[in-house]
Amino acid sequence: MTRPELRPRTVKLVRDLRLNSGRVLVMVIAIAVAVTGFGAILIAREALVRDAASAYQSTNPAAATLDVADGVDAALLAEIRDRDDIDDATARQIVSTRVLVDGAWLPMRLFIALPGDDLQIARFEVESGEWPASAGGLLLERAAVGLLETEVGQSLTIEGADGSSIDVAVDGRVWDAALPPANQERTGYGFATPALVERLGFAVLSDQLLVTVNDEFGKPTRDQARVDAVAGSVSQWLQAEGYAVHEVTAPPYRHPHQNQTDTVTGLLIAFALASLALAAILVASTLGGMLAAQSRQIGVMKTVGASTGAIVRLYATLTVVVAAIATALALVPAWLAGSALATLVGGILNIDIASVPPSAATLAMIVGAGIAIPLVVAMSPIVRAARVTVRAALADLELRSEGVGRFARLLGRLGGGERATVLAVRNLLRRPRRFIATVGLLAAGGALFLAGINASAAWSTWVDEGLSKRTYDAQLSFEGPVSTEDLATVFAERDDVTTWESLVTLAASPAAVDGSMLVQRIYPDGGHGVFAVTAIDPETQLVHFDVRSGQWLPPGDAGAVVLNQAAATRLGDPALGSTVSLSIEGQVQQWSLVGVIDEVAGPATAYVSTGALDDVLGQGRSATAVRVVMDGATPDSIEALGQRLAAAGMPVASTVPTTELRTAIDQHVTVFIAVLVALALLMAIIGALGLASSMTVSVIERTREFGIMKAIGAPSTVVARLVLTEGLITGFVGFGLATLASLPASILVGSTLGQLSFGLPLPLVISGAAIGVWLAIALLSAALASASAALRSARLTVRESISYQ
Amino acid sequence: MNTAIIEAKGITKVYSLAAGDFTALREVDLRVEAGEFLAVVGRSGSGKTTLLNLLAGIDRATAGTVTVNGTELGPLGESGLARARSQSIGLVFQFFQLLPTLTVRENVMLPMDFAGLSSAAQRRTRATELLERVGIAEQADKLPSTLSGGQQQRAAIARALANDPPVLLADEPTGNLDSATADSVLALFAALAESGKAVVMVTHDRDASGFANRTVTLTDGRVSADSAVLV
Repeated sequence: MTRPELRPRTVKLVRDLRLNSGRVLVMVIAIAVAVTGFGAILIAREALVRDAASAYQSTNPAAATLDVADGVDAALLAEIRDRDDIDDATARQIVSTRVLVDGAWLPMRLFIALPGDDLQIARFEVESGEWPASAGGLLLERAAVGLLETEVGQSLTIEGADGSSIDVAVDGRVWDAALPPANQERTGYGFATPALVERLGFAVLSDQLLVTVNDEFGKPTRDQARVDAVAGSVSQWLQAEGYAVHEVTAPPYRHPHQNQTDTVTGLLIAFALASLALAAILVASTLGGMLAAQSRQIGVMKTVGASTGAIVRLYATLTVVVAAIATALALVPAWLAGSALATLVGGILNIDIASVPPSAATLAMIVGAGIAIPLVVAMSPIVRAARVTVRAALADLELRSEGVGRFARLLGRLGGGERATVLAVRNLLRRPRRFIATVGLLAAGGALFLAGINASAAWSTWVDEGLSKRTYDAQLSFEGPVSTEDLATVFAERDDVTTWESLVTLAASPAAVDGSMLVQRIYPDGGHGVFAVTAIDPETQLVHFDVRSGQWLPPGDAGAVVLNQAAATRLGDPALGSTVSLSIEGQVQQWSLVGVIDEVAGPATAYVSTGALDDVLGQGRSATAVRVVMDGATPDSIEALGQRLAAAGMPVASTVPTTELRTAIDQHVTVFIAVLVALALLMAIIGALGLASSMTVSVIERTREFGIMKAIGAPSTVVARLVLTEGLITGFVGFGLATLASLPASILVGSTLGQLSFGLPLPLVISGAAIGVWLAIALLSAALASASAALRSARLTVRESISYQ
Repeated sequence: MNTAIIEAKGITKVYSLAAGDFTALREVDLRVEAGEFLAVVGRSGSGKTTLLNLLAGIDRATAGTVTVNGTELGPLGESGLARARSQSIGLVFQFFQLLPTLTVRENVMLPMDFAGLSSAAQRRTRATELLERVGIAEQADKLPSTLSGGQQQRAAIARALANDPPVLLADEPTGNLDSATADSVLALFAALAESGKAVVMVTHDRDASGFANRTVTLTDGRVSADSAVLV
């Protein structure tokens, strides 16, 4: 059997690949690394989009929830269900209390359903145990099991309505995909029946009316406009029937963290695409070097009849082969990394990621990008090389005409200084296009590396600065309104409390100027999307927020309101001086907007002056929370203070040490920052590879020139030093440009991350350590790349060098 | 008068250099017929290689026309010129210019591949025949770097003949060979001319021109002598 005869051009292609195995390896590694990053993020994004949507939707979350003050009984529920615009309805209760974990109290949110509730709305999946929970027991959301350091079959200490500690059995574990992970929110989530509510001493009241809605044709719909309209209509009907409705919420039909995930993975994809583009530029640059070395061969092929198109096709095929090999090598690592990333991010969303292979479309996108991007970028040097005239190719005119024009004049002016440095600079500028490409590659890789690290540092600085605006050690929120006189009495006897300030914080609903209630976008966890109103001493010493526009609360002006940036966004960025209407406990109140502040780690909040909410609280009550500064605050001392307050008749519903805020904030973005830094490292690798490739090409091209230098007496060490100096200069220039280019890149990345988390851009933070690391990477890779090339040039004999074709 | 296979009329070539314009050829007229073995001689810088480049379509004339095998080269683009060379012109260089990564046979097959004239098997057979014709068939599967200079030049001639062009252009084909090897290569050119090819050889070696049946002498870009030697 004879082997099939390959076409000579195919044979040439294969042997060129073999002959240039070093350069091919560099190109393959660069593309494979970039495709791995790109593919991993694409695969992770696909899995997250698919599984997050299906998991959240599988809970059939309420389209709207109405807070009916006096509760919803069976008769009212039946009437609601009978409405044409209602698909289904149920009544639930949410109890906010605290749970004891390792000696400290954490917030605990109990979702209460009647034993007969068929759980068609806001359903959860029982993973162990049985629903309904035993009388007086509960089922824990699975992510809370770890946070609360317990197991199924053990018990938890939950605070009762009177501040007492009550042991509650953990009967089982459930998965509620509509809830964010408990460890991120630092909140325990439990599911129980009214029996537990009674046992804890709270009032049993199913005041949460959960509904799903129908469209005009009686079909279930999630259309937001329709949901808002139906929720508003039900609210009006209830009020007409004499029921007080305090709040109507209709969150988007998406997981509360879905927007963040979409945007951040989008940002990561942009980074990964940039790394792929860098790899493509590296391929183009390396290929350009190969083509320059093959210039004469191209001329010969043209003399024997090859058209420009045939030459283009030949080298385009070579590029495709290299890119295809690299992409094939990258597919499995991309899949593994993508699955790991999806699982990590899935943890943030509290969803399970199915072990499903990437779709054909995603694979096609990865393979397409892995091959097409390098090919498209490489077409420029390929076409340029293929279009060279036979005469120019055979005479190697390109080499002869080096330095003509501006660069020749620049070279002419270069003089003085250390001879090797001057010669190295001249050599670099002989091929300005390549020098620019190499430095550009190094600079782009470095800029993205620095931007990634800077964004990470900016996040840390930003959170530190944001939290430094809060100079108190802890905020203790009470189960109900208390009097400041009672607080003063308790604090007067506490030596460890150096400063305290009371405040009033209540849930509010933005209302229309005419006083009608607006639909809220609060998620099922009751945390994401909340809007608060806080009455605070305008001359507070415990918070010092930066004023974005207007001013902070003027002392003595009870009609003034200041919004934080999240609240301003929620209200449509109202102008200073405009009226802000908020519904609080069913009463609509109005204030005049005097300023907007920047606040890190807080929900959308409207700040008003002390006393502005006293009417809502009732006679003699003027605080719902207190902020304290303590001597040597520890979880134990804060807890002891809470117990003292409870003993004085002011039971504490939640205690939030300021340090706890930091943990909660960091938990939301840790994975994204880690991935960003990992991608930044990929960029650094590609940039360094680009430099290595360029130096090798440059030395190979000048083999004959080095031979001549040696022939006229230059020792090998001089040649090696020259090459090394060129590499270091390139590395240093690339480093400088990277540092400059990293500024806008850092601002862009920081802005995206900051806007996502708290609606504020991250400050520009320049990480000195990152710059130092990048300088080391740039110079070290330059030294290594040029040292290997220099060694090669030094090893060649004069005869070998001069006879090099 | 027989039909000219090569016809150059009034060709002038001016190079624009940093030091000013340099005229390499001045209004040169040249006709070459099938079966002729023309040696173009002259001193270094007389315009010999420029003339050959213009006849091969490697360079373009500043003025005048070049027609090879009935095709005027001036209006053709790079791909058109490549096609014209593929069909009508075989080129031989002083430094052989064989592709180093292809075997001798593959080098000979390459022009046929680009021309797409025949099947793979036919290309292989023809390449073997041509290598036999130039006397190096036994070297067919070796890489060029393992061959002597004379063998490489014969391989280059075989490659030039691959698509059976009526015109063979050679630029200093013996410049890199010892005299005995040079003579055998020149004899091969003479034989090819006898078989009907038009062979144009640029050389500075007066002895080499002894194998040609016509000699054109260039001086400062002009034809200073044109002596046909009838065999």
